[in-house]
Amino acid sequence: MKTQSRSVSRDMMAMTEIEDQILVQQVLRGEPKSFGELCRRYYPSLTAIADSILLDHHLAEDAAQETLAAACRNLKTLKRPESFGAWVGTICRNVAKDMLSELPKQRKVAEEYSELKRDCDDCDHGMIMTEAVQQLPQHLREVVYLRFYNEMSYEQMAKVLGATQQSIDGRLRRAKKKIAAYLAKKGFRR
Amino acid sequence: MKHNNGNQWIESLLAKYLYREPVMFDFQQWAQRYPREAQLLERGIEDFGRSHETKIYHIWRLIMESKITRYSAAAVIVLAMALVLLSPFGTPGNGGVVLADIQQKVNGIETMIIRGTKTFTHPGEDGDVFEIDGIKCHFDLVKYFSKQHGLVEEGYVGDELIYRITMNRPKRQTLLVLPRWKKYGTFTSTDKIMHLLENGTPKGIINLLMEIDYKKLGRDNINGVEVEVFEFQDPVTFTELLPKAIFDIQNIKGKVWIGIKEQMPVRVEGDLFIGKSFMTMFHELNLHEVNTFGDYNIELDEDIFDTNPPEGYTEFTLSDILQLIPVEAKAGLAGLGIVPIGLIFWKRHRRKKTTVKQQL
Repeated sequence: MKTQSRSVSRDMMAMTEIEDQILVQQVLRGEPKSFGELCRRYYPSLTAIADSILLDHHLAEDAAQETLAAACRNLKTLKRPESFGAWVGTICRNVAKDMLSELPKQRKVAEEYSELKRDCDDCDHGMIMTEAVQQLPQHLREVVYLRFYNEMSYEQMAKVLGATQQSIDGRLRRAKKKIAAYLAKKGFRR
Repeated sequence: MKHNNGNQWIESLLAKYLYREPVMFDFQQWAQRYPREAQLLERGIEDFGRSHETKIYHIWRLIMESKITRYSAAAVIVLAMALVLLSPFGTPGNGGVVLADIQQKVNGIETMIIRGTKTFTHPGEDGDVFEIDGIKCHFDLVKYFSKQHGLVEEGYVGDELIYRITMNRPKRQTLLVLPRWKKYGTFTSTDKIMHLLENGTPKGIINLLMEIDYKKLGRDNINGVEVEVFEFQDPVTFTELLPKAIFDIQNIKGKVWIGIKEQMPVRVEGDLFIGKSFMTMFHELNLHEVNTFGDYNIELDEDIFDTNPPEGYTEFTLSDILQLIPVEAKAGLAGLGIVPIGLIFWKRHRRKKTTVKQQL
């Protein structure tokens, strides 16, 4: 049964990859609608990835849009159109990191603000959870965001991360372990 | 996939505090914000020239996906960092590689992940891939570099991790792990390793690079990226990176590709000749490697630089190694007093005895 569901999931992934490949070829031939379709498919994932780096939803949307512009400019160089998802995912990570490095001052102000808020509202569960997620290494924070931000499936995550479902599962497990440890340290009760 | 651990309760908390309604993409709005790209889509990307601005982060992706850029080695990675940080080759000029810009950009790199492959071949015209204990020594690599913590290199064949070398900077410790055999070896990092890992500063690197001969080879183009190519030869520091008995690096020759527009390294390639030493199981080998520079300044977990031997692993012994060493090398080692000659003959004698018993 398990094997069957895995095989179905593999088939579904293969299908979306073929669709992506066709869409990319259509874009290259001059069909802007196909690019719009690719953007619609990946925009939520890209926003989640960027948010996991920038920790700011509005900036994350900017990063996702910039990613799609970069993808458009460089689509011709994409050697494996079926891997469009993983490709834009990588671009998005780099765009977000680039943006982050250009915004050190803003980041500092935001951190100071968050420190201030922490002092006056220490027991707020939401705040502690946010901190618990923020202290994760970026590669773990990314999977947490993708999984819980838009309730993304493992198949969708695998596509945009260019990783296997097993490795995503492992990362999620490690992330939850670290979060649990952080929460315990902060005296958070279930 | 379900996790059978005690952390299920965290899922509901994460869902509660992280969930957002999926963001919708508005193509019209995007097209207004990026008119050039929208225009490009209208006329078809096949006609797209190279007049558009290329940003730095695109270069890494382009290179990472390229089939021609997939090799590396511990020495070459550090060498690449060193060359790029403060090599003597760059001179400010008309569209050329400007050293000051490279320094400025690369100096801010605290961590990086490098991917690639590493191939050991036998010396000679045929250049067959070296095989040991049934493993063809053509490895897919992942390397983690941290100025603070050190360097980790993982070598895979297919999906199987064959080896991991961890050089922990604060502990001055190097650990080699071979998961297939559940074996490990550990030694205190040599002064040369520490010298390299600690001199991540421009001043420290200048001293290292003063010894390197280099040659400017001119311009090239990698996946549409204009680069300037430099060749270097025999940097003394790197040939002495590890004790010669462990890894006898000789005759390093390499090239560095620097993106002209981006003023950043794109690729490093190296050819090394390695003399008979422990890491090559006392064979003479050629090593061909190329670094592809990937993610920069990402958070790396300190745990990956841990040099404590993993649980259930045992340390290498001479008996483990002797099985893999050619007979003539064993004789040489015995002659040098590295291996007791009695051990070699005892091992061979024991093996023969076992064979005879099996035949009976």
